[in-house]
Amino acid sequence: MKTMRDAGLLFRRSLTELLLRNPVSLAVALSTPVLYLALFTPLLNHLPGAPGLPRGSTLGLFLPGILSLLAFTTGIARGFITVFELRAGVIERFRVTPASRLAILAGPILAAMAIMFAADAVLVAVGTAFGFRPHWTGLLVLAVLLALLMAIMAAFSIAIALATKDIISFAAIVNGANLPVLLLAGVLLPISLGPLWLRVLAHFNPLYYLVEASRALAAGTFGGPAMWQAFAVLAPLCAITLGWATRVFRHAVA
Amino acid sequence: MDNVITTAGLRKSFPARGGRVEAVRGVSIDVGRGEIFGFLGPNGAGKTTTLRMLTTLLPIGAGTATVAGQDVARQPGQVRSRIGYVSQLGGADELATGRENLVLQGRLYGAALPEARRRAGELAALLDLSEFAGRRVRTYSGGQRRRLDVALGIVHRPEVLFLDEPSTGLDPQNRASLWEHVRSLREHGTTVFLTTHYLEEADALCDRLVIIDHGQIVAGGTPRDLKKQVAGDAVVLVLRDGDQAADRGAELLRGQPYVRELTAAGGQVRLYVDDGGAALPHLLRVLDGARVAIRSVQLSEPTLDDVFLRKTGRRLRDTGEVPEGRAA
Repeated sequence: MKTMRDAGLLFRRSLTELLLRNPVSLAVALSTPVLYLALFTPLLNHLPGAPGLPRGSTLGLFLPGILSLLAFTTGIARGFITVFELRAGVIERFRVTPASRLAILAGPILAAMAIMFAADAVLVAVGTAFGFRPHWTGLLVLAVLLALLMAIMAAFSIAIALATKDIISFAAIVNGANLPVLLLAGVLLPISLGPLWLRVLAHFNPLYYLVEASRALAAGTFGGPAMWQAFAVLAPLCAITLGWATRVFRHAVA
Repeated sequence: MDNVITTAGLRKSFPARGGRVEAVRGVSIDVGRGEIFGFLGPNGAGKTTTLRMLTTLLPIGAGTATVAGQDVARQPGQVRSRIGYVSQLGGADELATGRENLVLQGRLYGAALPEARRRAGELAALLDLSEFAGRRVRTYSGGQRRRLDVALGIVHRPEVLFLDEPSTGLDPQNRASLWEHVRSLREHGTTVFLTTHYLEEADALCDRLVIIDHGQIVAGGTPRDLKKQVAGDAVVLVLRDGDQAADRGAELLRGQPYVRELTAAGGQVRLYVDDGGAALPHLLRVLDGARVAIRSVQLSEPTLDDVFLRKTGRRLRDTGEVPEGRAA
């Protein structure tokens, strides 16, 4: 109860901060996915049906990947704000109150998630206008998976921010993790195009499961192995990273 | 006396290159209810580390601490609801207004919205912030900012308020106004525990204080008692010919029966005598007789810096200043 109440208060605070702090970054957050769609889809127009690729429309292949990408980047970027708040003494001010430690972590994550879903909605709306025909129930299930991955990456990112405490070390770790995770997930092109070793390696990447499930779910393959595998990987991983980050909050030498 | 803070053998060390650094090495203190208690020491002395252990922000290394009747290591949650803490950084949300900050803080301490709103208005009035309460914190001056930080620290009427270097970055006028506010908290029964590296602040504001250096307490008492330990007056003789003359002057004066303690550095001889006015002519005569030329003479009653010098062999003023602008 108390955790919910505290998380609600801190969610409102974070959301206000995100909306007020930088209207420019909010505009960018909402428009970037559409830019991806506009600038990258034309390159793919002849790909569906090519050897190794699933059949279906370009948008059906690519748009779910952007949704997954967005969950990943929104989550992993969350720690930048944590470093800033750490330096400004905000985190310490909260840590000395009796507010639930999980709530101090969850409030900001949920706020970033709300903005992510707004961007997702814009993307799906624009996609639909250009011929994207998703399976709507599948899309709702996908939303749960997107939330799980976003929370995993955000908890990870915040914990790294609390541990490193400075923007340079934090950025080095996060940027270092970015590229391999993105390349090994098949966000832009399905990993099935790659050789065996690449496909094996991808199975160690949580984002890979989300991307696979997102394509299946958007196409209406409901309850298939891709979806179950994604839940089986992401749900426990989410619990583990949240637990870990809460622990860091409890002990952080900030 | 009714103690609000009691620590016994408090210790903390951090891993560092080539072993561990012991930041706090056996700190034992008792702070009575309604006192303004000070922790005076140079940067890196272990003041903030001790404070962070007492406020549950840092796990206790060894030893015990009781704050507001609760064991800090076992009941951190109970301690948190009974204490207020204002860090060096403050940590108010810059884009929110002062009032919004106060209301959220009140709610995080469990108040319902109407109560939190009422309390925010009350605090704004108490700390002379009413005029700016509706403005964004970003527009506040250093002094207004600091008063808001204090208001955030006492939103839940804590038994103890911890202030970490409260007047760093404040000009003298704002510092004086902050001191007035801290004193009025004491009048309302709040115990105040503060760290400072400003001698004037410790002297003017604290009922009692301890001097801490290298993680250990080197002296403690009321400012008056501490200064009395350095019996007599301090005399500083600035010599014309620099260090060599200072060494020679020190040699000459050390043998005089009325000179209590003496140090020579930077072309100055600093010494303590029972009665400065009476000793001065003698001192001058000795130096003049040996042809040691004097540039100027200062005679002063002992300060806490003299206490620090006597206990540690160093001067607090020489131990380095806090970088500017940290709490602007």
